[in-house]
Amino acid sequence: MNKTININLAGIIFHLDEVAYEKFKTYLSNVKTALDQEESGEEIIADIEARIAEIFNLRMKENGTQVVGLADVEFIIDTLGQPEAFIDESETEAPKSSSKQTRRFFRNPDEKVIGGVCSGIGAYFDIDPVWIRVLFIILLFFTGIGFITYVILWAAIPEAKTTAQKLQMRGEAVNLNNIEKLFTKVEDYTSTEKIKSGVNSFVSFVVNGIGSIFSFVFKFIGVLLAIAGAMIAFTLIVALLGIFGSTWNLDGFNFISLNGYIYGLDGAQAIFGSGWRLLALRVGTLLTLLLPLFALVVFLAKIFGRELTNSKLLSFSGIASFIVGLILIFISAGSLITDFRERATETDQITLSGMSFDITADIFENEQGFLFDVEDELLHIENVRFNIEATRSSTASLELKHAASGRNHSEARARAQSFDYPTVQDGEALRLSEYFTVPKESLYRGQDLKVTLRLPVGATVYLDESIENIMYDIRNIQDMYDGDMLGHLWEMTPEGLSCTDCSTIQYYNTKEIEESIEGNLDEMEESIERKLEELELELKKLKDR
Amino acid sequence: MRKGVLEYCILGILSNGDAYASDIIERLKGAELIVVEGTLYPLLTRLKNADLLEYRWEESNAGPPRKYYTLSEQGRAFQLELKGTWENLNNAVEQLTSTPS
Repeated sequence: MNKTININLAGIIFHLDEVAYEKFKTYLSNVKTALDQEESGEEIIADIEARIAEIFNLRMKENGTQVVGLADVEFIIDTLGQPEAFIDESETEAPKSSSKQTRRFFRNPDEKVIGGVCSGIGAYFDIDPVWIRVLFIILLFFTGIGFITYVILWAAIPEAKTTAQKLQMRGEAVNLNNIEKLFTKVEDYTSTEKIKSGVNSFVSFVVNGIGSIFSFVFKFIGVLLAIAGAMIAFTLIVALLGIFGSTWNLDGFNFISLNGYIYGLDGAQAIFGSGWRLLALRVGTLLTLLLPLFALVVFLAKIFGRELTNSKLLSFSGIASFIVGLILIFISAGSLITDFRERATETDQITLSGMSFDITADIFENEQGFLFDVEDELLHIENVRFNIEATRSSTASLELKHAASGRNHSEARARAQSFDYPTVQDGEALRLSEYFTVPKESLYRGQDLKVTLRLPVGATVYLDESIENIMYDIRNIQDMYDGDMLGHLWEMTPEGLSCTDCSTIQYYNTKEIEESIEGNLDEMEESIERKLEELELELKKLKDR
Repeated sequence: MRKGVLEYCILGILSNGDAYASDIIERLKGAELIVVEGTLYPLLTRLKNADLLEYRWEESNAGPPRKYYTLSEQGRAFQLELKGTWENLNNAVEQLTSTPS
């Protein structure tokens, strides 16, 4: 047996079961609170109660019951709606200022040059779109990123199609007044400035100011977060684009310049040659690029509220192409492994005349600082290690040790023999190169070159600054680092290479020197003070006498 | 979007004859202009308070007596005025949206 409660709605008595009553009571009190602020709110409530009575009555008749149940109350709530909605939709007093409306990103189809992206951004931030366009054009010319950014934004930001969206784009309330304004272009929103008493307007000025500062800060943080998220995805794309650009030798994609630092533009070509491997690598990187690109578009579209009808297809094809791309890259790279199986070394000896040398590395100079560089039919490889060692022979010599890998020994040997590394001796001057060259077809297969200068005891050598890039851990008595050895004259002694013109200060590290100087100064100060005291004492004694 | 337009629609419905709240709701729901009934009652009261509407009570066999709304003189004049504005607006929209961009 259920308890029922009787209520009176617009003069009619209804029986509600307990559960229905609780729900109905809460709903009605919510409605009352919502309408409390309204002018003649009581009358509205009476109207609503009358309507509820009517619906209850109809449902009782239809269902042939006497008691109002939970289902009936829920039907009422569905039909009438939540009380918050009553007010929101009917609020016409106190027109909202434009800053209170939340703005949304839209592309502006009315003032577009290409896709309306810039004028949309301009409308969002209340900036003349010309500035945004200038920014994009600068980005386009300096780095090329502007182009990709534009395309991504174009795909992700919805176009403002309806009047309501065009108003939202500018952050204006969507109502009849503003719609009219949009068409008649009357722009004196501020003409109805309220004239208030001094104190009042000052207070409201301060309050408004603080309010707008806060809303600006929040908006700013929000925008920053969105930008940070987008930047991460973007960086990924840029990195992949860099690899992509380097595999295709595309100068246009060189804006990423990442490629340059890793391989040199020609790195991929130097390693992968020009056959199917390079093609597989290129297609592979292109395919892997699609996933982050699609992801960024979907992510931004979600932020900007664009409905992507085929986002599922997009993510599926993105993932699929990413996997296929990775497989292609792995196959291409994996096929290289056998090419490195065997290793061979070839050694050339060049006998040098004289006992003193002035070493420079200026025949081939590597200006770009890349590891690889393809020029005409030659592959430049900067993988030279220069060292100085002692020899028991009475004459100095230069040893060139070429090493290379190959699928089998004869292939590796052939590669090791096809080095070209020019050296010249002209009196004391011994000129080396910063890189060696191999024919383009022999590709990069682990080639390296060890250049060793063998000096008999008593021979001297001057190390020029230009050999900095090729010198590799030259041992010396003073135990100085390679970089510090430059610009000095060295002599081969029975104990090893020794500096003849280095000042002793270079043996210490600076901290020790500083400490010792400080210690000395302290000691000196103390002894001076002691001396002064003694002198003063003597003086006193003399005066006393 | 509905702001203002809803008021205009209510006046328009009433210009074709008297109606009580449920009738108006049915019409507006049919045109998909409102989703929930609750929004309408504050509007009607506000229009009445602005002397654009008047109402009379009529007995109903389905429940409590119903308020039948009718346009006042002022309301009729205002409705015609709004109609003019609306048509201008409509033309403007038509013109703008039909020209190829």
